[in-house]
Amino acid sequence: MSSPRPVQFLRRAFGPLVEPAVFNFWAREVGSTASRDRVLARVTAKRAESSRAVTLELQPNRHFVGFKAGQHVNLTVEIDGRRVTRSYSLTGVPNAEGSLSLTVQKIEGGQVSAHLFSNLQVGDVVELDAAFGEMTLPETLSAPLLFLAAGSGITPLMSLTRELAQRGMPVETTLIYWARHRADLCFLSELKALAAKEPKFRFLVALTGDAAIGTDELRGRPSSELLASAVASLSSQSVYACGPAGFVEQVETLVAPIARSFQSEAFTPPTFTPAASSQTVTLMLAKSNRVVTVRSGEPLLAALEAQGIKPPSGCRMGICNTCACGKREGLSRNLKNGGENAEPEANLRICVSSAQSDLTLDL
Amino acid sequence: MNTPDRKLTPAEIDAFGAELDALRARTVAKLGAEDAKYIRNIVRTVRYTEVAGRALLMAGIFPPAWILGTITLGVSKIIENMELGHNVMHAQYDWMNDPELNGQTYEWDTACTADHWRQTHNYEHHTYTNVMGKDHDIGYGVLRLFPEQKWEPRFLANPIMALLLMTLFQHLLALQSLQLEKLLSGEKTFAEVKEQAKPILKKMRKQIAKDYLLFPALAGPFFPIVFAGNVGANLIRNFWSSAIIFCGHFTEDAEVFPLESLENESRGHWYLRQLKGSSNLEGNKLMHIMSGNLSHQIEHHLFPDVPGRRYAEMSVEVREICKRYGQHYNSKPFFKQLGEVAGRILRHALPSKPSSDKPSSKKPKLVSKKASPVVREEELLAA
Repeated sequence: MSSPRPVQFLRRAFGPLVEPAVFNFWAREVGSTASRDRVLARVTAKRAESSRAVTLELQPNRHFVGFKAGQHVNLTVEIDGRRVTRSYSLTGVPNAEGSLSLTVQKIEGGQVSAHLFSNLQVGDVVELDAAFGEMTLPETLSAPLLFLAAGSGITPLMSLTRELAQRGMPVETTLIYWARHRADLCFLSELKALAAKEPKFRFLVALTGDAAIGTDELRGRPSSELLASAVASLSSQSVYACGPAGFVEQVETLVAPIARSFQSEAFTPPTFTPAASSQTVTLMLAKSNRVVTVRSGEPLLAALEAQGIKPPSGCRMGICNTCACGKREGLSRNLKNGGENAEPEANLRICVSSAQSDLTLDL
Repeated sequence: MNTPDRKLTPAEIDAFGAELDALRARTVAKLGAEDAKYIRNIVRTVRYTEVAGRALLMAGIFPPAWILGTITLGVSKIIENMELGHNVMHAQYDWMNDPELNGQTYEWDTACTADHWRQTHNYEHHTYTNVMGKDHDIGYGVLRLFPEQKWEPRFLANPIMALLLMTLFQHLLALQSLQLEKLLSGEKTFAEVKEQAKPILKKMRKQIAKDYLLFPALAGPFFPIVFAGNVGANLIRNFWSSAIIFCGHFTEDAEVFPLESLENESRGHWYLRQLKGSSNLEGNKLMHIMSGNLSHQIEHHLFPDVPGRRYAEMSVEVREICKRYGQHYNSKPFFKQLGEVAGRILRHALPSKPSSDKPSSKKPKLVSKKASPVVREEELLAA
């Protein structure tokens, strides 16, 4: 969205004279989401999507540079004076108004999801970062698509399904959506209507708690039999899977060796096994002039937080880069793949890295 | 000194430190929405008073508007520098994760660059408080305030230098990290100073351009009136903030420490040194806000990264802990402390010797080799 010419002129003429913090203050004071340097978005609508999920419609300011269907954003809200950031999938498709929607499932004990579910109101302002994520659709599609979603894993796949609907459903697409109970399912009427309208789109619900009813419902966790009953030839399918880590690992084992291609995203952090040696190492926090001692093998973010130090963080699983900080020296280990790196790094993701020696960090 | 401090055993010093650590932990656990709201209200006060002050100065052709505008702008600068800037740069509000209140990136409305301040103040002054040869804030290299400082003829100018320092406080503070007095002693060359001065001069130029060119120019024909108002506002800020800061460490009962006091300094010793080197100012809530809560200098030095608005409630417990351990808690009304500072400035302009019964004697009274040694990191943590 481009601003009117007079606004652009004023911005160019007087912008450099006003400090960003001062501009941002007065914008907030008059109830605007304008900002010199930050992506702010106003909540324009909020509606229940299931018994435990809400959809938020957001109108971001000019700093939001857009997204592709299937991507996520980091969303920041203030809870009890502290700003907290979490990643959420965008569930809509890019549109002319530049509005966004995201669907949040309330997680037991989840501070941010509970806040978004219960406290956030229409008119409130949240902060966003640039959209990111690799699970998007290519320009041209040839192979049939198989979408496997579990729980809140439906959100990026819903975005992709909507994009396909907009593109006129170019390839045969099957969506299997797992949930424990029927009341947990989101977007049910929209997906059913799409399946009724589009002959190339098939929608199946798989329930692990409630009993299955009708022909478009399956029962049980992912298995070879269940998948065989749903799709004729797995080997021809491009598969996208999204859900909790356990689910994604399970379908990856079942599907990845057979399918034409396999892409996945997991929503819960994998559990790390601490390094065998539990020796202590020293972290030099260069910017704050602090020195702390942690155990080697421990994720750095958690280890720092345990000592009352709270670096910025987001997804806590190594995808959003919020916690990334410079490593000036030392041997670090990527806990996701076990890889070790003795080189300085501009952006060490401390949520999924541990110290294998003394480290100097830009914190 | 009202009553001499009781000499503590190493075990008592450790217990003293543990009590203060526990107080800190209890206070940090309470931080939340209330503190966030408070600092945002401070930001709001700074922004509105700045606009009001500058707007009034534009109408400064009417004397009452000029006077009110100058005072309002001065007050705005004081609150921005002290309750907002100084405290935010101590990372007191980092727990909020607000990029506009981030200790590492906040830039304040004064000539001194925030980065130099974080180094000379947050690190050096707060880690090595009142340690001779380590804490440059003992006289800023131009004043002699303690008999432990070596007398030189240049200190005869103490009273004049003090007035000059107060008048030009923002600019001289900006130059502090250059340690220009080392040019006199030959420890630094002019070329070195010139190189180090670049970022400092850049910020100085920016401040001067803003207050003495941009805003006066906006007033068109009333340029001199707005210019004079900005001079007045900066003077108000300079005198007030320097007076508050002088009262923090240069009062009669404030002590300085020899370099040896840092050897094997435990957490408890560090706390004791902060207590003995600092002095509080008694006053009402307005006094505390206008001083950036440096009226609670003792609490600020014990807990530099705890939000200043919590010092008042902490001071009740700190005072009680000090009483139990027989340690003097240096707290007096502002004008009493200021008088004592003036006394030091005058007295130590002339040669003076530490009296042997003074606690600030050369003998490092605080050093006790038997106390649990603590790594230097712990000091850094508190700096």
